[in-house]
Formats: sequence, C-alpha cells, structure tokens
Amino acid sequence: MKIPILRLGRILLSSIQVDLTDADAMQFQDDLVNKIAEIEALGIVIDITSLEVVDSFMARVINDTAGMARLLGAEVVICGVQPYVAMTLVEMGRDLIGVDCTFNLDQGLEIIKARIEMRGDARMIEGEG
Amino acid sequence: MTTNSLAPIVTLLQQHRAAISSEWMTEVLRVWMRLYPGLVNEDELRRQADALLKELGKLFSEHSGEAPPDITGNSELGEIARELSSERAKKGFKPADTAQYVITLKNVLTQHLVRTLNESPTSLTLCLRAVDDVLDRLSLLTFDAFVETRERVIAQQSLSLVELSTPVILLWNNVLLLPLIGVIDTVRARQLTERLLESITKHEASVTLIDVTGVPVFDTSVARHIMKAIDAAQLLGSRIVMTGISPEGAQTLTKLGISFANVISRATLRAGLAEALQLVGRRIEFTGGVHK
Repeated sequence: MKIPILRLGRILLSSIQVDLTDADAMQFQDDLVNKIAEIEALGIVIDITSLEVVDSFMARVINDTAGMARLLGAEVVICGVQPYVAMTLVEMGRDLIGVDCTFNLDQGLEIIKARIEMRGDARMIEGEG
Repeated sequence: MTTNSLAPIVTLLQQHRAAISSEWMTEVLRVWMRLYPGLVNEDELRRQADALLKELGKLFSEHSGEAPPDITGNSELGEIARELSSERAKKGFKPADTAQYVITLKNVLTQHLVRTLNESPTSLTLCLRAVDDVLDRLSLLTFDAFVETRERVIAQQSLSLVELSTPVILLWNNVLLLPLIGVIDTVRARQLTERLLESITKHEASVTLIDVTGVPVFDTSVARHIMKAIDAAQLLGSRIVMTGISPEGAQTLTKLGISFANVISRATLRAGLAEALQLVGRRIEFTGGVHK
C-alpha cells in the first residue's frame, strides 16, 4: 500500500489514513526521503488525523523520518494527533520530541510557511524562479 | 659423479632453448597482445624469457639427486620471475593472465620432454615431476610478487588520499567552506579539524559550511569525526551549516541515532550558501544581466 505524497510548491504533504504494516511504513519513509531530496523540499507536513493507533514502531518511523527530513534541510510538522494517540505515546515514553505538532492541516501549513519564511534559502531560490 | 636423473631437462634446455623460447613467447604474446594491446614490449619479453630459461637450465644442471630442486625468492631465477610479475601488476594485468606466463612455459616444456623421452618412461616420469614441481613453485613466486606489488600500490594510494589536501575556502566575508571529499579516517579528521579551526580563527568566520557531497559512506566513525570538528568550530563561535547529505546518508545517520541536533542542515550547497548569507545578513540579487 503506497501512501501518496503531494507536492504543494516546495512543501510536501502526506496523509496517513490507514494503519500501516511495518514494511509499508518503511516504504513510506523511503519514498518521502527520496522525494524531499528530489525536489529540494523546504518543508513537509505529515497528517495522521485518521490514525487511531500509533504503536512504538510507527512512532519511531515518524520520528526518524522527521530527523532525516531535517538532515536534508526540510522543516517538519505533524498534524492531527488524536487524543488517545497522544496519551499512548506519552505513556510509552516516546513522545515526538523535536517535531512540532498542530491540530489540523491548516495550522500545520501556516507554521511550516512561517518557518520557511525565516530561512535564507527560500527567498533566494524562489527569486531565481 | 652420480648420474643426474634430470639430465634430459638440462640437455633439452641447452639444445632447444631457442625453440622453446620462441614457442613459449608466441603463445604468451598471442594472449597478451589481444588482452593488453600497447602494454606489451615484445623485445623486452623475449629477453626476459631467454634469461629465465638460462637460469632454469643452470638450476637443473647444478642439481643432483632424486628430489626436485628448490628455488627461493633470492635466487637469480626467482629475481627474474619477481621482476616480471611486478611489472605486470603495475601495468594492470590480471593475476590469472600473469600466472599464465609460467603455466605456458610448463606446457611447452612438458610437450618437448614427452617428445624426447618417448622411449624411456621412467626417466620421463622423473623429469616431468621435476619440471612440474619447479614451475609450480615459480608460479607461486610470481603470484606472491604480483600481490606484493599490488598491495604496495594500494598502500601508496591510501597514503596519497590522506595527504590529499582538505582545502578551507573563504567563500565570503566571514563565511568559510569546507568541502569534504573521500573517506574520512582518524588521521584525516584530525588534520582537517586543525586546518578548519585555524582558518576560522584567522578569518573570524561567523558561519562555516561543511559540504559532505563527496563523502561516499556515512558510518558512526565518520559521523563522530565530523561531529567533533563541528563541536570544536562551535566552541570558537562559528555557526555550522552542513550541506550535501544524500537521502541514503540521511537514512543511515538517523538509523544510527545521529541527529546533528545543533547544526543547520541543507540538502544542497546552494541552499546552504543561501542560509549562510542570510546568517551574515547578506543576499545575492538579480541585477538584470544578460545571462538568465
């Protein structure tokens, strides 16, 4: 099962809507990282609104993906973490440290754009058009 | 004087040396000329073959007794074989093609022996065994020499890689660039850290770009070396922007649990440069020139 990765300018959008098998999760990570490098993405938003269960493996995948994206120079925001998911994650002691979370996609995009605005490369590279 | 059971070989090598040599060289040259055109010096090869056969004859004629004669790397014969083999290695011949040299000689000698000693099987067996034994040793010797030479070449190359300079480039006022290329080991890491720190102090660099596009593999030790250099540079008060990590590199680093947390990281040197300029409050502008 392939998770679609949408492109919005230099931002990548991805919504995980079904529970992923471990293999799917790794495939998603791989796809996303390669896509980031391909388009030199400035930011990525991962939406997990429809995920009701996030196990420790999935949490790690999200965390790792965020770390990889950061190394490739992209800002990361996770949006739509459900209350129960948040509780389990904290219980497991595996909170998504270092990754900003927002309620919905709208806010997520806003934060990403604001962060990109503060960066040096966004304006310059866009200016070259 | 005991009768030398290997006398037929000596006679053969004395009387038919020219024929053997020419047969041998024809075969060797046929293969080598096809595989390594332009790398084979025919005159030189013939001279070496003659010298080798002469020494081989000497070896058998000075020898007496049943056991096959022994050859060592120090003997004249060993010396010739060594020299020849290491020459091949330097020119980039394959080991098998180099070994072929001695094996071809064995074939030629065997054929000649079989022809001359057709009548006396006992003598033939003895001679064949001796030739077999001696040439096998010779073949091992050439193989040793070949590998030795190759190893020396590899050692030299890795040395020159260490000596390969790691330039620190002043990209703009207060902006330094350290392009990393090749394998980073402990020695090189220390060298480049020293040079980087010196340059940072000298130019009072407030931003340092470290470009790792040319680093083929990331593992814990490489990451640790780079991390140390970064920590030291940050202690001097320079901000670090790391650029050029590949998707694979990013995945490896994350899986190893290395996050470069206090470093700005950008996918390309271009993005990194923009970031660095932003940090020093400058930017590149389009001036309406003719080249778009």
